[in-house]
Amino acid sequence: MSTKSIKTILLIEDNPGDVRLLREMFDDYGAHDIEMTQVDCMRAAEEYLAENTVDVILLDPGLPDARGLAAIRRIHAAAPRVALVVLTALDDESLAEQALQEGAQDYLVKGQIDGRGILRAVRYATERKRLERLKDEFVSTVSHELRTPLTSISGSLGLLMGKAAGNLPKSMARLLAIANTNSQRLVRLVDDILDIEKMEAGRVVFNFRRVEVRPLVVQAIEANRGFAEGYGVRIRLEEERGTAAVRADPDRLLQVVTNLLSNAIKFSPANNEVVVAIAKEADVIRIAVRDHGPGIPVDFRPLIFQKFAQADAGDARQKGGTGLGLSIVKQIVDRLSGEVSFSDAPGGGTIFHVLLPCWDHVANLAIDRDSKPDATRLLLCEDDLDTALTLREQLRQVGFATDFAYSVGEAVARAMATHYYAILVDIHLRDGDGVSLIVRLRALPQYRDTSIIVVSGDPSCGRDDLRSSKLNILDWLNKPVDFDRLVRLLAKPVAQDANRRPRILHVDEDDNVARALSEIGDVVTVNSIEAAQRALMAGDFDLAVLDVALAKGAGPDLLPELRDSKGNVIPVVVFSPKGANLAADAKVQAAVAELHTSIDSLVATVRDRLASRKNGVLREVV
Amino acid sequence: MTDIRVLLVDDEPDIREIVDVSLGLDPDLKVRACASGADALVTAAQWSPSIILLDVMMPLMDGPTTLANLRKNPQTAQIPVVFLTARTQSDEIAQYISLGAQGVLSKPFDPMTLAASVRNYLPPSAGHHAA
Repeated sequence: MSTKSIKTILLIEDNPGDVRLLREMFDDYGAHDIEMTQVDCMRAAEEYLAENTVDVILLDPGLPDARGLAAIRRIHAAAPRVALVVLTALDDESLAEQALQEGAQDYLVKGQIDGRGILRAVRYATERKRLERLKDEFVSTVSHELRTPLTSISGSLGLLMGKAAGNLPKSMARLLAIANTNSQRLVRLVDDILDIEKMEAGRVVFNFRRVEVRPLVVQAIEANRGFAEGYGVRIRLEEERGTAAVRADPDRLLQVVTNLLSNAIKFSPANNEVVVAIAKEADVIRIAVRDHGPGIPVDFRPLIFQKFAQADAGDARQKGGTGLGLSIVKQIVDRLSGEVSFSDAPGGGTIFHVLLPCWDHVANLAIDRDSKPDATRLLLCEDDLDTALTLREQLRQVGFATDFAYSVGEAVARAMATHYYAILVDIHLRDGDGVSLIVRLRALPQYRDTSIIVVSGDPSCGRDDLRSSKLNILDWLNKPVDFDRLVRLLAKPVAQDANRRPRILHVDEDDNVARALSEIGDVVTVNSIEAAQRALMAGDFDLAVLDVALAKGAGPDLLPELRDSKGNVIPVVVFSPKGANLAADAKVQAAVAELHTSIDSLVATVRDRLASRKNGVLREVV
Repeated sequence: MTDIRVLLVDDEPDIREIVDVSLGLDPDLKVRACASGADALVTAAQWSPSIILLDVMMPLMDGPTTLANLRKNPQTAQIPVVFLTARTQSDEIAQYISLGAQGVLSKPFDPMTLAASVRNYLPPSAGHHAA
């Protein structure tokens, strides 16, 4: 197999066993000439990629400092031009799909693929990435290459129109105007193609905030006035009473109104007017753009929001349309949680309607006023209003009141103002990420031990993921939420976790030690590393106490492998009754929490470690 | 010195001419044009322009490299630089600003308002001279 095109690989994997296995696999298939660098956490990977370049990155997205899609995103951001192959134990098709959308070239499941397969996948991934780079460069180059001559054409025409048109015979001035209008149209077409390409790739970030509709519409009208004059069309804004604010991204909303206006202008007969109306309805703001054009042919109506859709190709071309404007409108309005539609205007012409969630409504909805006053109150941090409302309705049936926070800032402010029984966090808040929100919540003393449940559309960060980080997340629920499971979680007494007796795994034969430890917690005593691992698989432990002889026998590689059933590394305290000197073995030293030679100091240390484990969250995040 | 000196750097002769005419609509603007980054470094040091309009895609020395070289020379380090470019994706703009550009003007531009746009990027003192 030819792997000549690949010379360097960065392997991001924290499991030493998997690293060894992968190196052996590569060697077996004759890929000796590939230089493989391995790091075991996101920080090291990012540091390495800042200084070095590689041909391909192999990523296990279950790292101690980054997990799931978040890990994929970070690596993609650190090296957007390098092929990325995800190599994971998690066989999950929907995660695989999302991984590819986040920029990975392939998603491989450990155990399902051998060395030859991995090498082939790596090679294909590199080739796909190369083609993707070529495509991106092509789009960028085409746009640049088209714009450069367009700059000269539209610049020359613009100067002629501005300075000399008055001195030209009418027929020549008309030709000049045609050339000028069409050069402007080409410019818009290039812009639209780039826009829609970005939108479809999901690369457009929306910044939601309170937006006053009227000034924004006025701005769009002003920007289109010259364009309208070219068609002999006037734009009129109907007066409305009161203010109307929506929750939207102002730049994108401006684009929506601009596109609707230019559409209406193009299809209006000369000497007519385009009328814009803003109306506040129950929970929404309606922006209506009315033209006096010929109306939309019936058989074209279902197609109108599709790309390059034109009622009559010849006609649209005469009108200077790109066939992309309404498609862009639809994509943006969808992302704004709104609706766009059209209707026949009385007396001829068409009205396009954009409905957007009214700001007051969205803000008012945030506090649950309809549930019983004494209902247990939850905070739901979720930026999708429809999802939030559905969940609130379900939770109300089982006796909870649910307040909303649409952003990280709002969530922290609300959590500080009201004490919530539990907090549900969507991990993908559009204006901040859920993990950093949880970090901030845990830093508040009143939320140190509160149940926090993650609700996620991202299954990658499933059961093994965030819970095993230090944030003490109660559970991770995928969307759509398994409501019964959520209710079971919420039904648990909150303090239970914090107050239960710690479980200690004692790997030794010394009864005195076991007796001493049983004063602190529930002790399970086993007499070998193998038995310890079996016990760990059967139940969760907060800490392991290991006799030094066994620790040495286990070998330095095995010690960090003591994990609970959730995959958390558990602290290991090594006990050395005979005062054996372990200092010489640096690897063992590094792997163990502490080394003790007397039962008293051992018990004290175990108490300490257990206490710091409970409060560890705070220390980690402050 | 009451005039505002604008140094234009673009490898396309047509665009140099159009920018020259467009900026010429503003009588206070004095324009010189260079066809390459290397020329621009020399002219900028000798002529001390009030502002530099810099194309991004140029052969031999591209816009960002030219900007870096202008910043290295104490004689030209303080001159405001505005990119005049067809590459105006939001990530590209962010990158230009991070390189130390004062702003970005996109191609194609409106020739009738280009001078006003350029004036927006002048430090206040240059504006006072002109006024």
